[in-house]
Amino acid sequence: MSWLSRLLPSSGPGLSPEQQASLATITRHRSPDLGRSHFETRYVVVNAESRPMDGGGQRLIGVGAVAINRGLLHPAESFRAELLTAPADALLGLLHFIARAPLVVYNAPFNQGILERGFEQNLGSVPALEWLDLMVIMPSLYPERIAGQASMDAWLSAFGIDRPDRHDAVLEALAVAQLHQVALARAKAQGLNTPQDLLESQTSRKWLRGS
Amino acid sequence: MVTTAPDTLIRTNLDFLRRHPPFDRMEAEALHFLGERLATAFYPADSEILMPEDGPPSFFYIVYRGKVQARQVGGVAVTEYATLTLGPGEGFPIGAISAGRPSTNGYLAVEDTYCFQLPAADFLHLQEISPSFQLFCTRYIASLLNQSREQLQIQFSQRAAEQQTMTTPLSSLIKKAPVFVPPGLSTRTALEKMVEAGVGCMAVAGDDDKPVGVLTQSDILKRIVLPGFDLARPIADVMTAPPHTLGCNASAYDAALEMATHGVRHILVVDAEDKLKGVISERDLFALQRIGLRQIRSSIESAADVQALQRASQDIRQLALNLLAQGIGAEQLTQFISALNDALTRRIIELNLDRHDLYGVEYAWLAFGSEGRHEQTLSTDQDNGIIYVLPEWADKEPLKLRLLEFARDVNNDLASCGFPLCTGNIMASNPDLCLTIDEWRERFGTWIREPHPEALLNATIFFDFRVLFGDEKLAYRLRHWLLSMTGGNPAFLKAMATNALDVSPPLGKIRDFVTDDDPKYPGTIDLKKFGARLFVDAARVLALRTGVEATSTVQRLRQGGGRIGMPAEELAAMADGFHFIQLLRLRHQHLDTDHGAPGDNRVKPDDLNELDRRILKEAFRQARKIQLRLKLDYQI
Repeated sequence: MSWLSRLLPSSGPGLSPEQQASLATITRHRSPDLGRSHFETRYVVVNAESRPMDGGGQRLIGVGAVAINRGLLHPAESFRAELLTAPADALLGLLHFIARAPLVVYNAPFNQGILERGFEQNLGSVPALEWLDLMVIMPSLYPERIAGQASMDAWLSAFGIDRPDRHDAVLEALAVAQLHQVALARAKAQGLNTPQDLLESQTSRKWLRGS
Repeated sequence: MVTTAPDTLIRTNLDFLRRHPPFDRMEAEALHFLGERLATAFYPADSEILMPEDGPPSFFYIVYRGKVQARQVGGVAVTEYATLTLGPGEGFPIGAISAGRPSTNGYLAVEDTYCFQLPAADFLHLQEISPSFQLFCTRYIASLLNQSREQLQIQFSQRAAEQQTMTTPLSSLIKKAPVFVPPGLSTRTALEKMVEAGVGCMAVAGDDDKPVGVLTQSDILKRIVLPGFDLARPIADVMTAPPHTLGCNASAYDAALEMATHGVRHILVVDAEDKLKGVISERDLFALQRIGLRQIRSSIESAADVQALQRASQDIRQLALNLLAQGIGAEQLTQFISALNDALTRRIIELNLDRHDLYGVEYAWLAFGSEGRHEQTLSTDQDNGIIYVLPEWADKEPLKLRLLEFARDVNNDLASCGFPLCTGNIMASNPDLCLTIDEWRERFGTWIREPHPEALLNATIFFDFRVLFGDEKLAYRLRHWLLSMTGGNPAFLKAMATNALDVSPPLGKIRDFVTDDDPKYPGTIDLKKFGARLFVDAARVLALRTGVEATSTVQRLRQGGGRIGMPAEELAAMADGFHFIQLLRLRHQHLDTDHGAPGDNRVKPDDLNELDRRILKEAFRQARKIQLRLKLDYQI
């Protein structure tokens, strides 16, 4: 998938039996019904924290995640992990928190890219998950606010959402989650009632933009 | 140790809550309980959050960002009566969720809005574990009021320090930085400086700021003018040395003692290093002794002439200012003002009786309007009249003339004591308002029989009469007769009620408040016309309907409301609302215009702090409640 994974040994990172068992329970999670309405769905907003590497590129050092369950954000439904010491356990924890829910990010090329690389490197495989990118979706939902692709800050300020502390992956995920709540309200009004509708709209949008 | 994600999010919630009452003073444990249970939901503009048909609410909501409008739904809803806007930090629906019944209001997001939601069961539990929250929910407005009062105390602690006793440390009596000159300065320059600074006492201090001497105004005549002292010589040659000094921590009493012992009128105040901090004069101490409630009262009662009363009238104002700054509630405050003003008026009348012989005449001096209701603010003009009995054997004209001459002198004396003459000539010296009991009945009776607009306006002023001096029985008989006339007269009461509903509370549909569009007063609300009057007029209708003799608005509400079965808590909330508006008026008149400008009743909501704005909003909501009651009762 990326140039990096090709350079690494493909046999997997050598998970302990407990870690392999943990990974196996994740795959047994029932996959969610993406045809239900947003307000019966559990979304998970993820936000990757990275640091530039010496040889160029970015290294995943942490992750924050916040769930939107039935439209509500609840402090208990949040997750944070550091990847510096035990990256495999951290990512397993993340996958348990996600529980196969559709994911929401701002800027998928970065977030999805770096997380999937992290999964591959540390767990030996990339789980199949649905990714929604607000960077793509927002301009189609709120063209009257910002027509083209814009920075996350631009969208946050358009809806009066507080700019988070850049160094806290959870707070940043919280801001994205609040933005996703805004997105869901408009999606519903436009007849895009389910995660499936949003995913399809995103695909066509990407296709239109030729990306 | 890394903070867990839930902890991070809870902290975000707590940071928000701590900025908004009542959560800012919630017990730590309860606040945490709340913070970890709040979920956040988003409601786009124009969407419904909670409707009566949703049944008993599942959540208690706190606006996090945006604006929510509460709309009364149902048969009696009339647009301007039925909306209220809620902003960040405000919660709903407190009543419905506490009682487990459907909300009477519909709640809509008028802007893109984020709300915190707390499950109903957790809301009830929170009330159990947090006494402050329970108090907030049961006595919403009262608890906000307390908080506002405390804020005011802090805000004006500086001014409050002016209301002091003789135990006050001198450090807090010093009003300005000391004016002083070096000992080597020529006497001429020193005197020039004294004039320039407008001080009666010039301190002399060295480079180290330590006082070495003092020269007072009275020294100038004896030591400089009469002996022909050479003004070119240094001030050190003519000053009193060493000066009388006291430390900053010495009390006003110490200073008074020092002055009395040494026969001086000024004391220099120094800090721990003997550096000059300020000058205290005899006059500063007089002010302290004079402005106590008891002192003012006794100075009024023993006043020998109008001049003494003028001074007392200024003291009343100063006392009111001090009490305000101490955060005393409007109810007590207006009682103080009213009691002292009554005493002042009585003393003026007594002094005039020395010159006007009314011996044997049965009469009473009446107060009308706000004075009649014990609700004077300090910028009210006179509203008074006389009721008297014409003995069968007496001639009316000469007796009335005597009363009018007496009244004219009293009116003028009152005017010179700070109660301006009434521009509408509602004064006892007006022959139309110096009437026998039969004439008053006749007058009142006409208004009741033919309640045209002017009659109703008169009723709102004159029906609030009260005796300030003289024969209480006369007013008592008039009141009984009046209540017997109005109580059984639904047509008149309906006309009064309609009149009371003329003006509605200035609550906005989108913005919090509707402010005056008069370009002369942009962004203001006239709290007399659009605030106090709403309560006063409604309470009067209640009193006339149910036969309440009291004239004060709060008493009328409590007694009259009780007689028609309004719950005591509801009436208490209305009284609180009225008091808060009165307090804002007083505060505005005293604190914001304390340079002697005539206070008006225009308050800019934007200038109020968030807490006071919320209370004001709630106070208006209470006005709306009582107006709604009138509407229902009289089918208006």
